[in-house]
Amino acid sequence: MSDRVLTASAALAEALIEEMTRDERIFILGEDLTAHAGIFGQFKGIPERFPGRILDTPISETCIAGCGVGAALTGMRPIVDFHFSDFVTCGMDELCNQAAKIRYMFGGQVKLPLVVWCPDGAGLRAAAQHSQSLEAWFVHTPGLKVVVPSEPADVKGLMKASIRDDNPVMFFQHKRLFRREGPVPEDPEFLIPLGRAAVKREGRDVTLFTYGSGYFLCQEAAAELARGGIEAEIVDLRTLKPLDFETVAASLRKTFRAVVVHEACLTGGFGAELVARIQAELFDFLDAPVLRVAAKDVPIPFSPPLEDFVLPRAADVVAAARSVCNR
Amino acid sequence: MAIEIAVPKLGLTMEEAVLVAWKAAPGARVRQEEIVLVLETDKVTFEMPSPGEGLLHPLVAAGSRIAVGEVVGYLAVDEAELARLAAEKPAAAVRLEAAAAARPTAAAATPPAPPSGRIKASPAARAIARAHGLELAGIAGSGPGGRIVRADVLRALEQPRPAPTAPAPAAAAGGPVLTALEEIPITGVRRAIFRNMHASLSTQAQITLHTEAAAEALLRLRQKRKEAGAPVSYNALFVQAIARALRRHPRINASVEGETIRVWREIHVGVAMDFGKGLLVPKVRHADAKTLEEIEAELQRLAEAGRAGRLTLDELSLGTFTLTNLGAWGIDRFTPIVNPPESAILGVGRIEEKPVAVAGEVRIEARTTLSLTFDHRIIDGAAGAAFLQTVCRFVEEPALML
Repeated sequence: MSDRVLTASAALAEALIEEMTRDERIFILGEDLTAHAGIFGQFKGIPERFPGRILDTPISETCIAGCGVGAALTGMRPIVDFHFSDFVTCGMDELCNQAAKIRYMFGGQVKLPLVVWCPDGAGLRAAAQHSQSLEAWFVHTPGLKVVVPSEPADVKGLMKASIRDDNPVMFFQHKRLFRREGPVPEDPEFLIPLGRAAVKREGRDVTLFTYGSGYFLCQEAAAELARGGIEAEIVDLRTLKPLDFETVAASLRKTFRAVVVHEACLTGGFGAELVARIQAELFDFLDAPVLRVAAKDVPIPFSPPLEDFVLPRAADVVAAARSVCNR
Repeated sequence: MAIEIAVPKLGLTMEEAVLVAWKAAPGARVRQEEIVLVLETDKVTFEMPSPGEGLLHPLVAAGSRIAVGEVVGYLAVDEAELARLAAEKPAAAVRLEAAAAARPTAAAATPPAPPSGRIKASPAARAIARAHGLELAGIAGSGPGGRIVRADVLRALEQPRPAPTAPAPAAAAGGPVLTALEEIPITGVRRAIFRNMHASLSTQAQITLHTEAAAEALLRLRQKRKEAGAPVSYNALFVQAIARALRRHPRINASVEGETIRVWREIHVGVAMDFGKGLLVPKVRHADAKTLEEIEAELQRLAEAGRAGRLTLDELSLGTFTLTNLGAWGIDRFTPIVNPPESAILGVGRIEEKPVAVAGEVRIEARTTLSLTFDHRIIDGAAGAAFLQTVCRFVEEPALML
């Protein structure tokens, strides 16, 4: 079966349609879903195709998350749409105290097959409360899986794997990447297992570890670095928890230098976690300190020039890679 | 207010330098523009003029590695301020360059003591050195702040391992001994040349082709320009010939990077110059797009900067081809060594009148030798010869370049 070029949005819809067709227990829950097929049009075709299996809720994230947890406990396989990932704060107790811990606290007697779909990221001039990248909060909560796809094929393969997982999965998809196109396999059994990273560009001089929107910064940076004679390897982590540290290690053993790139702000971000593990487990393979490229530690500004200033740019990745290569 | 003496950025890529020497004693009055200290980077030695007038209060000792922008000393307006500065920020012990320059070598036969203190090396460098039983102490670090990185250890592993050093021949044995008259540390420009020349011959498969060119047209052109009041040097003519020939043979204008041959769009011709402090190769940027006058002016500017020790890193890096001319030294022909990462270099010998057989007759003609060395890994003999032939034609008939 061949790959077609689809947008990330279409790849998501295709994954949902395929899975909902396969398994009747799957349904979608969230605000404003049926009238416009989601506020980003991401559920195109689903309201007509699966009436009654895509439900509009009151404007209460606490309620939405709670319904999702309850439905999952009683044998359904819900997908909860958070509208903007920023609104997770209103469902925090349901996600972090209930969903994350129930299977453990009940001694494994229940499963919790819940997918929490969180459109995140900045660059849309949407200001501080609609632009965050919050994945690190959930990586810090044992019991949750955390997925952050970059390319449309990853969106499809990872969404299908998340739906089939029996544990709660936080699925962060960048809003600015919805329209980005890429080849997507047609195969309805195309799954990308959670916890498997991908080496998306081979290089010998430095590894750029990244995920989500950071991947595209790295691509741009790698092209620029190549012009200067530095061959960067790009590892798209795809799943932050569980983390594919084997792929991380294999790449670093080859390049001996690394830069971690993400759009989330620097302090306490996932980069800090990855760097900590690298220095602890791969110390003898480090030829330079591992650097991080991330957003500045401020709320995302509404002013476009300021927003651009706060977000990491490809030039920052280039500078960090050059620095660790001492070139 | 005291004036800060800060390390200037001498090139785009410069991040640090070694403060080689102070040119004035602590407390001495230094005038504006007077040379106050000497800096050395991998590529240049720079005599820094004083940013103002005042009494010198140095903070950093000679021999220190310093970052661009770092304040290394102050110029105090008067004795009172000097005293205040001394109280706030203790002065470095300063040894004037004059005292340090001639290093007496009474103890030359004694092996140098192993460096004390911690050796800076990356974990990866340490792991490889450990695995191969290699001592880090003898390895020069090329990383930031002199840190030994993996590449340094790999390079060291490629060197033939010296047998454990035998004790210096004891004079007591009564046999002949060698005593060094002078010991010159391999640093700065010398270190760059040292590494580059070794890297050149150890990585490339170099071959040299020689050919002879009639220099009559060159002499005539020089004469005409001189009479017109706009003299040009031989080097300017050769740079132009090279640059124009490279445009016709772009594959010569290339470098090897890993598994890839990069054929450069830009043509930056370096010209080997010697100002008595080690060979320097400033570049004529975009030489193919410049007129003869522009090349001449650029060469003069670079030579002047070179003589004054003011060539910047930017003027010395990123060349794509080199010209080396030993004509002035009466050399007929030689085999130049490629200046990596470039892949070819043209050597020019002296211009001399010689008997030449033309159509059955012997004629006296001014001639010169052109020697092209190139990396045979990426440039085949025929391609190298074709390029040399084009250069030769341009030298013999400069009008063809137009």
